[in-house]
Amino acid sequence: MISLTNLILVFLIGSIVSYLLTKANKILGSIFNFLLISYALYVVWNIKVGHEEVLFRILRDVERTLKVTNLGKYFAIVSLIVISFVAFFIIEWIRKKDIKPAAFNSFLLLMVSGILGVFFSNDLLTLYIFWEIAVLGSFLIVPMGKKESKRAAIIYVVTSAIGSYMYLFATFSIYQRYGILSFEQVSQYLANDSSNLFKWFVILFIASAGIAKSGIFPLHTWLRITHGNAPDAFSAVLSGQLVKMGSYVLAIALSVFPTTQLFSSFYHGVPLLNYVLIWLGNISILIGTFMAIRQNDMKQLIAFSSIANGGYILVGLGIMNSIGYAGGLFHVFNHAIAAAMIFLSFAAVVYRTGTTKIDEMGGLIWRMPWTFVTYLVGIISLAGIPPTSGFISKWMIFSSLVSKGMFITLAITFIGSVGSFLYVFRPLAGVFLGQLKRKHSDVKEVPIIMLVPMLLFVILTILIGVYPKPVLDSIVSIENEVGIKAIEHSGTIIKTPLGQWNTLTVFTMFSVGFIIAAILYMIFPKGKKVDLTDQYTGGEYLYNYDLYHYATGFYRFIERLYDKHPSFEKLYEKLVSFFRYIGYFTYKLVYKTSPSGYVFWITIVILILFWVRW
Amino acid sequence: MSTNERSIWEKIADQLRSKSLWMLHYCTGCGAIELPPSMTSRFDMERFGMGPMATPRQADILFITGYLSAKTLRRVIYTYEQMPEPKYVIGFGSCTLNGGIYYDSYATINRLDYYIPVDLYIAGCMPRPEALLEAFNELMRMIRKGEANGWKRYKENYEWYKQNQLRSLGEVFIHDEFHE
Amino acid sequence: MTVLRVIAVLLTGFFVGLTLEGIARKIMARVQRRYGPPWYQNFIDVFKALSKRGISHGWIFDFGILMALGGVIATLAFVPLGDLVAFPGLDNIFIIVYLFAVGALGMAMGMVGSGNPNASIGVARALTQMLGYEVPYLVAIAGVLYYYKTSSVSGLMMAQQDTWTLFKMPIGGIVAFISLLGMLGKKPFDTPIAPAEIASGPMVELSAKYMGLLMLMHTFSIFVEISLFVDIFLGISNYLTFLLKFTVVWIIATLISAVLPRFRIEQVVKFYWKVPLSLAFVQVLFVLLGWVF
Repeated sequence: MISLTNLILVFLIGSIVSYLLTKANKILGSIFNFLLISYALYVVWNIKVGHEEVLFRILRDVERTLKVTNLGKYFAIVSLIVISFVAFFIIEWIRKKDIKPAAFNSFLLLMVSGILGVFFSNDLLTLYIFWEIAVLGSFLIVPMGKKESKRAAIIYVVTSAIGSYMYLFATFSIYQRYGILSFEQVSQYLANDSSNLFKWFVILFIASAGIAKSGIFPLHTWLRITHGNAPDAFSAVLSGQLVKMGSYVLAIALSVFPTTQLFSSFYHGVPLLNYVLIWLGNISILIGTFMAIRQNDMKQLIAFSSIANGGYILVGLGIMNSIGYAGGLFHVFNHAIAAAMIFLSFAAVVYRTGTTKIDEMGGLIWRMPWTFVTYLVGIISLAGIPPTSGFISKWMIFSSLVSKGMFITLAITFIGSVGSFLYVFRPLAGVFLGQLKRKHSDVKEVPIIMLVPMLLFVILTILIGVYPKPVLDSIVSIENEVGIKAIEHSGTIIKTPLGQWNTLTVFTMFSVGFIIAAILYMIFPKGKKVDLTDQYTGGEYLYNYDLYHYATGFYRFIERLYDKHPSFEKLYEKLVSFFRYIGYFTYKLVYKTSPSGYVFWITIVILILFWVRW
Repeated sequence: MSTNERSIWEKIADQLRSKSLWMLHYCTGCGAIELPPSMTSRFDMERFGMGPMATPRQADILFITGYLSAKTLRRVIYTYEQMPEPKYVIGFGSCTLNGGIYYDSYATINRLDYYIPVDLYIAGCMPRPEALLEAFNELMRMIRKGEANGWKRYKENYEWYKQNQLRSLGEVFIHDEFHE
Repeated sequence: MTVLRVIAVLLTGFFVGLTLEGIARKIMARVQRRYGPPWYQNFIDVFKALSKRGISHGWIFDFGILMALGGVIATLAFVPLGDLVAFPGLDNIFIIVYLFAVGALGMAMGMVGSGNPNASIGVARALTQMLGYEVPYLVAIAGVLYYYKTSSVSGLMMAQQDTWTLFKMPIGGIVAFISLLGMLGKKPFDTPIAPAEIASGPMVELSAKYMGLLMLMHTFSIFVEISLFVDIFLGISNYLTFLLKFTVVWIIATLISAVLPRFRIEQVVKFYWKVPLSLAFVQVLFVLLGWVF
């Protein structure tokens, strides 16, 4: 078995190889990418927990080591599943794209090497280094998308930098104070530290990297712009994987430095710091849900839903009891899979139609049925409806919130959950159902290579929904590792103090219900199949059925209620224009187009120089 | 009539159909004013299981009150063809029967039966709600006996009906919302 | 045994549900000083609808109906009817509420799949209304769950040994009942299927067999919604007293809806988020403070 250090090196070298291969042949390079990432998945899957190896030394007395923890392994496996499926999707997708395929493939591998390092690094500084490698790789891919995507990339990297520099600041503060960086030692030192302020500062600043990355309020604005404008298939990686890196840092900040032990309880066993983070999660859920309802661009819609789901994960992790933490971790898996599925199906739609505006499409189910199935199962999981896996995590989060008595958070998670029915239905109705647009009448289903990963995601979601044992097992081992009471489960039955449920019974009963309905359907007279244009129109004749499709302003009646909402995006825009104005002012002051201006400034400078007798 | 033979299931179904008649009323003529009294507390149509429906997809009866101009006739035919089978048509008032006071109008049709098969007429100008309820009872009897076979007639003599419709409406050369 | 119990639950849902819908029509007629249809009218309607030859708009239309009915049948099987519990211990409230959404999603998908914009508008309204009523309802229920420390519906019912939850938490009971009216789609909240505005909304393209199956689905959903309310708020009951309480709740809901006009959709959401939601928070505050009678 290859060592982790070598695996990361292989990826770094592989990114150059991939560049050359893709230059020679697009498909060859993509296949190489897929094989390499699948190999990494294979290695990570089989790696033993507790395995440790030295990476390099820079600081005195401090070894940079890589260590496999249950937490890191779980995140790495989820990430690599998503990325390897997307890499398979890209093999066909990249053929038709006018992006630079060689650079795309090379940066993808660069990003994966960073991700592997992040999840297996054993100390704060190594994590930071690999974090920046991952950000660099993804940052270079984002501008290959739409016209606006160059600006998107800048916003992405600036927001990410805010978080990661705060993280770095906390890291160096720790090093200055204790002289150590590895997670275990830091958590020991922190537990013995008497300064509450320092503990607050360290954990909040470390968490801020996660907040920036997983799109939690107040650093959520980059998601809409970046996810909406990145290359279509890469949006799946962004939302399905890179955002989860943020959740990983949040999980570390909350559980590896166990906040419940560092701080005293504030409300039913939840420390104030966790409570603050949970409230950030709450605000993200509200923003994500209500803004997603408004969107007409399907990719931006799901980007906002990623904000809301990031909030869910933070709420789950923040509660830090056995069920809530497990719910948060399970939600990482669910949202990774669901978001990747949805973005892949959107990539397929854009691949054939070339637009992301919901009201420019319609009735694509009659042309792209399998893409529709992927999207459907994806949204069922995203909205948290049984029998898919999405429900399990939401149920855990709800249960733990009820048992903690956190009713306002609970109400907000309910709003997020019911609101998700609303926003996921908008693309379903606007893009896939309804009247087929005339200009899309000869659209075809995407090639089989693109369908395979999409349908594998479908199978995976339903499989884990019916038989969640594999995921639950790894969550149990994570909880044992970080010292939280592990959840009880026996294969398909999940137990909480509030009661239990059996995924298999629910699935069986659903199948039985469906069979009963199907029998009723069969025994009564068969319906006559009519065209989509045979509609009740109040007796009116229509010739342009493109217009007989309700997709514009789908939820206008509720959008109207919060048209004048406060917008953080606008606030940041104002901040940007303020700085731009200052820059412009300085520019105007200093740079003159006329020679007299230069002469004036030169004279002033010379006078000052003489005055200080330099 | 050969179409009158029914299987046992059809007979049972007809019993049910006669007790649950959902109605789509096509109210361009003045007869519509007689419907509210027959629905509300004085005559209460719902005690026979009858009720108004919003779309032709769920309706059993197409209820045509009063005259039909050539333009509205086109809509009636369109609506009639959208209804699921079995379906019944009631012509209400003299206008559907022989043109009524519009018998010599250039813009209206005189006899509805030429264009879509009418199962039952209610004569008068205008008929009272009592006549309406009497007609409904008669229609129920006909359905139970299997005599309300307008929809079968329409299928059998489709060519003839289409011919009449075309003759009255003329052919449409420009296909858009304004010419049909 | 489980199979028999499931069959018993489904049959109860079918017969009692359809009968009570007929009775509701009768009550409605009496309020309006009419004679009204016979109590078995809805059985006739369903079977008549099933006997006709309908039209279909393609596979998603058919699949949506099947998913709707299947999802609701699955949900119904988990609901305890008094002491008739098909899956003891597994009747978790969140499962029932979310499994219920499968049926709603199936219906929405099939109806929008017909391609009629009226259906889309109706579905958009229905989902918005759901956003309105679910939140106060679930918050009120969460207060009950927090108090009794269980989320199993039969557990919640058995926990009401001394008094009914309705009397312990009267505000929560009222909130849940107002939300129940929205769930049932009864009169002040029947915006999604406004027949005079959007041609009965989601059902606009449904004919014959499809309509019949949807009517069955509607009956089962009503049964699920009211059963949850009865189980959680109206004390311990066996099968017969359960049906009695069920009938009383249904009749009260019908009487209220018989005299009220229709809200506009944004009024529905505003109403639910102003009045019942704040009341629900008052209730959970009482529960947290221990002010339970």
